[in-house]
Amino acid sequence: MYYVADVKETDCAKYNCKQCVLFCPEPNTLMYHDSKHVAWVNYSRCKGCAICVYVCSDLLKRNCIEMVMMTAGE
Amino acid sequence: MGLEYVRISPGFEKYMPKDYVDLVQYGQFGRDIDVQQLGQFKELVEEHPMCAGCFMAYFIRVFYAALPKPEDTIVLGTAGCARLALSQAAVPFIYGNYGDTNAVASGLKRALSIRFPDKEKDVVVIAGDGGLIDIGFGMTMHSWFRREKFTTIMVDNEVYGNTGGQESGMSPKGVQLKMAPKGKQFEKINAVELAKTAGCVYVAKLSPTNPKRIAKTVKRAILAARHFGPTFIHAYTSCNIEYSIPTEKVLEDARKREKQDFGFYEWMTDEVKEFFEEMERKPEEVKA
Repeated sequence: MYYVADVKETDCAKYNCKQCVLFCPEPNTLMYHDSKHVAWVNYSRCKGCAICVYVCSDLLKRNCIEMVMMTAGE
Repeated sequence: MGLEYVRISPGFEKYMPKDYVDLVQYGQFGRDIDVQQLGQFKELVEEHPMCAGCFMAYFIRVFYAALPKPEDTIVLGTAGCARLALSQAAVPFIYGNYGDTNAVASGLKRALSIRFPDKEKDVVVIAGDGGLIDIGFGMTMHSWFRREKFTTIMVDNEVYGNTGGQESGMSPKGVQLKMAPKGKQFEKINAVELAKTAGCVYVAKLSPTNPKRIAKTVKRAILAARHFGPTFIHAYTSCNIEYSIPTEKVLEDARKREKQDFGFYEWMTDEVKEFFEEMERKPEEVKA
């Protein structure tokens, strides 16, 4: 079981923002989809620090990212 | 080193690891990347074993995205947390003995300028507060006294994080750590003023709360080092383990410290200032 960030795509697509991507400490983990204009998470690389949740929910009040439990292979 | 060493020989693409192919096709080499594009290109740093939510890892991520010419850069580090990520990047990395990074960098920079007189090769030292201001203090200071042309970046986590939490010269006064139970008795060393006095031509102090500003500072430090002399950046990169900061509060802590004692500070000599003004004016002139 891993604790990882998950982006709610429909909510995220409403905003043309990538602040969470700019503040993730891990490289090539929280990525930005150019055409869909949403952030997406490379689950196998996410360490579950939740800085992106702080940026999205506490700073920007947009609540588009949540932390979820995930089993390997999902 | 150099763009021709990075590219894959024709016909070998399918035998190379996917991450490397991505790096060459969608990476930073030979392209002018803006730090705001993070997340839309393959970054130079790969997965690394630094702790979850480590802001030193964050600073290093932005640092690599900000390199003006990654294919012509050599990074030096020493024992400490930073080397865990630095050694996982697609930029040559030299691991010095504890404290001798600036001495190694001095020789390296001189050798590179003899070997490649017509090319600009950047040498950047990234080490912690222990490597640069405690154990490597003498070599750091003397490289500045000699006006060696390379950049020194101190990623200051205010503790010896790898070895169980001993106090360092950069720990704030009064702070209690696992291996400093009585609290630190002395003031935090003023590294920025030391660098200015020792002869650095560009000195900056920052807390990593604004990626655009980190990138601009790193670029300026590297460019000033190419032409004028030693440059120094003092970055606050908290240790969330030793200072018991919950990972999701790491950015909040960086913002808090920015308001307290890590407000953005930039100082440069007049000739460096003139150089940047000239450089930033040029694109407008071209448009006109």
